[in-house]
Amino acid sequence: MSGSEGMSGSGEPDVSAEPLTGRTAIVTGAGQGVGEGIARALAAGGANVVVAARRAETGDPVAAAIRDRGQNAACIVTDVTSRESMAHCIYETVAQFGSLEIMVHNAFRGGTPHRLEELSQELWEQNSRTAVWGSYYSAVLAFPHLSAAGGNGRLILITSPSGVEGSVNIPIYSPVKAAQRAMAKSLSREWGEHGITVNCIAPVAETPALVSAFEHNPVLKERIEARTSLGRIGDPERDIGAVARFLASDDAGYVTGQTIVCDGGSFMGL
Amino acid sequence: MSAPQDDRSLEGRIAVVTGAERPLVAGLALALRSAGAAVAEVSSDEVRARTSAEAAFAAAAATLGGPVGIVVHAAIPEIAFEAIDFDQVDDARWEAVWEVTMSAAIHVLQLGFEQMRGRGGRFVFVTPTISMSGAARLVPYTTAVEGIRLLAKSAARQWGPDGVTVNCLAPAPEHFPIGVASIDVSLAPPALGGPGDAALDLGPVAVFLAGDASHALTGATLCADGGVWMAP
Repeated sequence: MSGSEGMSGSGEPDVSAEPLTGRTAIVTGAGQGVGEGIARALAAGGANVVVAARRAETGDPVAAAIRDRGQNAACIVTDVTSRESMAHCIYETVAQFGSLEIMVHNAFRGGTPHRLEELSQELWEQNSRTAVWGSYYSAVLAFPHLSAAGGNGRLILITSPSGVEGSVNIPIYSPVKAAQRAMAKSLSREWGEHGITVNCIAPVAETPALVSAFEHNPVLKERIEARTSLGRIGDPERDIGAVARFLASDDAGYVTGQTIVCDGGSFMGL
Repeated sequence: MSAPQDDRSLEGRIAVVTGAERPLVAGLALALRSAGAAVAEVSSDEVRARTSAEAAFAAAAATLGGPVGIVVHAAIPEIAFEAIDFDQVDDARWEAVWEVTMSAAIHVLQLGFEQMRGRGGRFVFVTPTISMSGAARLVPYTTAVEGIRLLAKSAARQWGPDGVTVNCLAPAPEHFPIGVASIDVSLAPPALGGPGDAALDLGPVAVFLAGDASHALTGATLCADGGVWMAP
């Protein structure tokens, strides 16, 4: 580059393939699906990645696969609905890698179809505890580390287009996903002065959960593909992980409080 | 500006209004009554627990002489309005704002739907624009309000075939004791000059959403905030 006119900050843009080198990320629910894809993409971007999974049987192989590619990862068994477990995860992460710049909360349980008039306490608890309490713990417990990251602090919450549109089949899913979006907006306003950006990704990707939903409802796949501009369902690493990597990088340093809908061009209501 | 005193479009209708301890909500209740509805005013505390919420809905139907056909839901625990740095929020507060707001909304939806099933009905959720704009030091509050706003959309999608509509009425932040003014959430001042009067300005919008004229509208959020929040 022959000059720095128009550039901000330190001047030269970081165009390396590994924009996250030296940074550490936690990805919850990274034992499969979108979380796994994000963990792999952040590691490929140079970050040390903690695969926070509820079960070692799913988390360990993801971390091992990342290490097999010559990148840094560790699995820490974590229950996102427990303050103690989340605190332990963050403590261990910093003990092992020395810092925490990027917190990604993706873990979710509770996508069982239901009628609102018959909503069970158990299904409500699953939705509320994993999506909303998990986001709360991710944010409040990671805050000391994100605010110490010198402007590189990133909180990324994985939400859903359903959190904007409402859902006829899984009605209680929408409010918990909307709650995450509101949290991101308010936190982005509150944490700007701490150099932390807070954003959401609303993905549609080929995950074990979606594949299982297709088995129960074969028409669903056709409907999603037909409604999607790009005519295909997203890949967790290539399509969703890459967006998380962008949000985690310096390139997205001026983006905060936003939801990036990453669904191949289906929902366009933002 | 004058009250629409000739509007009797809710004559014979029975309404429950929750969160009635707030002046804004009392104003909405007044507007429903002026339009002819019989209104039971219920406090936020009364819909907090399932049993007392059940009692409130049963009492409304019994004393007002028929099934409830209109529910205006504005209940929210007082603690939700307290501004606080997010890193000072503890589990007890998160429970008291998020869980209590959501469970009350679920009680109200389920109990209202029980009486509307087979007859149709109208839900109007009061969801201030601040949940869409976001606000520093109000993370628990905005999170909870956006939760109930999307709960309304999901309910709208499920209960449309039953003739039940569920919409949101979004007032300006000035109507709530949260220390936020419209000018804080937008670069532009309110196009209509201010946040409006609960009964005279927001009331007619609530009456519209509660009446027959809005039968083709569901899952919508109407921002009656004097022309500040214009997205989408």
